[in-house]
Amino acid sequence: MTTTTSTPGPASATADHDTAAISMQDVVKSYGRVRALDGLSLDVARGEVHGFLGPNGAGKSTTIRILLGILKHDSGRIRLLGEDPWAKAVSLHRRLAYVPGDVELWPGLSGGEAIDLFARLRGGVDTHKRDELIERFDLDPRKKGRTYSKGNRQKVALISALASHVDLLLLDEPTAGLDPLMEAVFQQCIREAKEEGRTVLLSSHILAQVEALADRVSIIRSGRIVESGALSDLRHLSRTTVTVQVETDIAQLATMNGIHDLVREGTQLHFSADTAELPAIMRTLGEHDIRSLTATPPTLEQLLLRHYGKETQS
Amino acid sequence: MNLLAEKRASGHHGAHERGREGHLGGGSLTGLGTLLRFMFRRDRLWMPIWVLSLAALTAYFANAIAVVMDGDSLQAMTVFAKNPVMGLITGPGYGLDHVTVPRFIVGMYGVFLMIGTALMSIMTMSRHTRTEEQTGRAELVRANVMGRHTQLIAALILTVLMNAVLSGLMAVAFHFSEAEPEPFSSTLLFAISVGTVGVVFAGVTAITVQLSAFARAASGMAGAVLALAFVVRGVGDMSAVAGGDLDWLSWLSPLGWTQQTAPFTLDRWWPLLYSAGLVVALVIAALRLQSGRDLGAGITAERLGRACAGRALTNTFVLSFRLQRSGLLWWSLGILVMGGVFGSFTGAMDEGAAGMPQEILAIMGGRSGIVDGYLGYMALYFAMIVAAYAIIAASGLRAEEQSFHTEPVLATAVSRGGWLASWAGVTLLGSAWLMLLAGVGEGIGAAASMGDWDLLWPTVLGHLAQTASVWALLGLAFALYGFAPRLMGLTWVVFAASAVLALFGQMLQLDEVVLDASIFTHIGQYPAQELSAEAVLAFLVAAVVLVWLGRLGFRRRDLVTA
Repeated sequence: MTTTTSTPGPASATADHDTAAISMQDVVKSYGRVRALDGLSLDVARGEVHGFLGPNGAGKSTTIRILLGILKHDSGRIRLLGEDPWAKAVSLHRRLAYVPGDVELWPGLSGGEAIDLFARLRGGVDTHKRDELIERFDLDPRKKGRTYSKGNRQKVALISALASHVDLLLLDEPTAGLDPLMEAVFQQCIREAKEEGRTVLLSSHILAQVEALADRVSIIRSGRIVESGALSDLRHLSRTTVTVQVETDIAQLATMNGIHDLVREGTQLHFSADTAELPAIMRTLGEHDIRSLTATPPTLEQLLLRHYGKETQS
Repeated sequence: MNLLAEKRASGHHGAHERGREGHLGGGSLTGLGTLLRFMFRRDRLWMPIWVLSLAALTAYFANAIAVVMDGDSLQAMTVFAKNPVMGLITGPGYGLDHVTVPRFIVGMYGVFLMIGTALMSIMTMSRHTRTEEQTGRAELVRANVMGRHTQLIAALILTVLMNAVLSGLMAVAFHFSEAEPEPFSSTLLFAISVGTVGVVFAGVTAITVQLSAFARAASGMAGAVLALAFVVRGVGDMSAVAGGDLDWLSWLSPLGWTQQTAPFTLDRWWPLLYSAGLVVALVIAALRLQSGRDLGAGITAERLGRACAGRALTNTFVLSFRLQRSGLLWWSLGILVMGGVFGSFTGAMDEGAAGMPQEILAIMGGRSGIVDGYLGYMALYFAMIVAAYAIIAASGLRAEEQSFHTEPVLATAVSRGGWLASWAGVTLLGSAWLMLLAGVGEGIGAAASMGDWDLLWPTVLGHLAQTASVWALLGLAFALYGFAPRLMGLTWVVFAASAVLALFGQMLQLDEVVLDASIFTHIGQYPAQELSAEAVLAFLVAAVVLVWLGRLGFRRRDLVTA
């Protein structure tokens, strides 16, 4: 028997502060000939909300299921809350909650029963918190599993996860079926979880969500992490989108360093600029007559676009 | 042929026809031909499998009975057939006083063909109507040029055609069998009256698929109507055989109408008019119900469940029980009733033993110990039935994994071994419980019919002891689940081989070594034979070891995930 308590407060999280919440190094997982994870390395610090971004099929769900000890990895080193997720699955699962992207409920059990069951199997349900969440997410818990829509099944799993006292939340595209109103409730809940000192791994391809919530982001592509860091660091690597309206064409822009994808549309010029080259570009523009100028900071869409090219354009 | 006729009609007066159709039904049947063609395409395996299996079953009954039964044994079986309990199960028993092989087949086996036909219709109707709505495919279809009632009417036409073809094949199979029924008009009456049951239950299902928004519930309701029809005519027929005054009840059931045609005895066609009238009424009612509801909605609202989990739902054992509960409940009811019914045959068996065919007597322990022999044999028989339950229940564990219910459970503080052990525990206890119920039912029935209550406990013990062989089979199923869930079907193969060896091995005079390969031949058919404590113990140990092995395998493999 392990001696983990079912409700370790924030105190125990700070006690072993030096160990990361998630640490994966060179993890490989193959399904037959297909390599789902190809030397993936991922680090998530305790208490942070970590965005896990990537297109469909990049290996996000496989990574999370390996962290859950549901799939076994072929090689590499993994520590989850300082322990081996395959060997210590049961005791670790008392300290984490998981929300899958496709929630399947038992047709004959009501939503309320499923919420309580999952939380109890984890070690206990905070009934006060549960009732509050059911209210906030506007769920009817008496309906049978077979009558829920996809969004409502998602709510059942979310409420059950958030109503458990756990250190770590593993969320695999948790809001795929939720409407914008519920999306806002979800974001508020994640902020509260962070204030309570919990760690959140939030896998998503909804970039606005990650942008709003995440402290740090890892971008996965074809089973490897291709970029990892704070959002501000990643922006640094990207380009600013610039639209200028001009009286006469500025021919030298086409040859300048740091200018990409220049398009002329009547009197409008669109281009993206390397952030480092912006001062020089601005000086050049200043020498000409400009009617208007808009510059937008890089969004995560653009970060992804840069890494994956046309693959993510839908 | 139907399609051809339709094409020709539309070829001659195309525009005119279309106009009239629009006027009559408000376009509610638009697209019927196209949809029907599509349904035939979808069912190109489903239809022949159902129709041919039921026709083959008819051929089997007709030939097997004709071969096994000669004049004397037929007379002896008639004594057995004419008791009220057989009336409850098989029917009013027309013509058994001057029995012939065709009369015997119609009287004793007709009802099973009727049930098969009804099930075929219920499942075909539900598959083409409510299942389509539940999955949302009907919405895609209805968004095209397609009338409100097209899908329901097309499903009805398809089902009626299946029953018509089935009736034709049944008549042919029966006519050319060893039973040599004469005249052909009686054979045809029998086949058509059986098909009529199918058509009636197509109508019943047309109603129930309007009521519930879920295909399973709709089929279940239609099945309940079938069960009710069976019981109502059963009580009526029992009364008729026993000379009581409840025989009018048989006339309240569609199964009763079919049986009242009494082929080869009275040869009446007119009871089928009741069936036809009922079908028309059912279809009209179904169309009205459909007009009054939204696509995808039911008439009855889904009942709400509990807002919170009950206090007991805290671990995987309770969860496993909860998930297996409704199945276990229905099986319990069925097994108890079956036990009681078979048990109450004991008295009739004892009286009828004198003239029974030697082959059947030999299996049941010969003339001298016929009562013990029969009760011991029934213990074996129930072990096979309960084994089928057990394998279905064990397969539920794999179904849970495949429908992605297992993943979120294992993502909580539940070990793989614990989950498998919980499910296995419920299944093992459930099958022991069913064997106990079978024994109690059989024992009470036997004791009551013989007036000898000393029969009760030996019967219960004999049935309960057979649990060990069911458990060994379950062990195999769970071991396969752990290592190679895809191979779980092998359990059915072992089950089928064991059952065939145990049932027919002696009759075929097979070698002891071959018979020993059956899992069902080792416990001993108590009270006719001694129980083998070694076999019981060996099977129990095997079950435990195999489940433990299954846990080992399950801990090593990847889970099936979405």
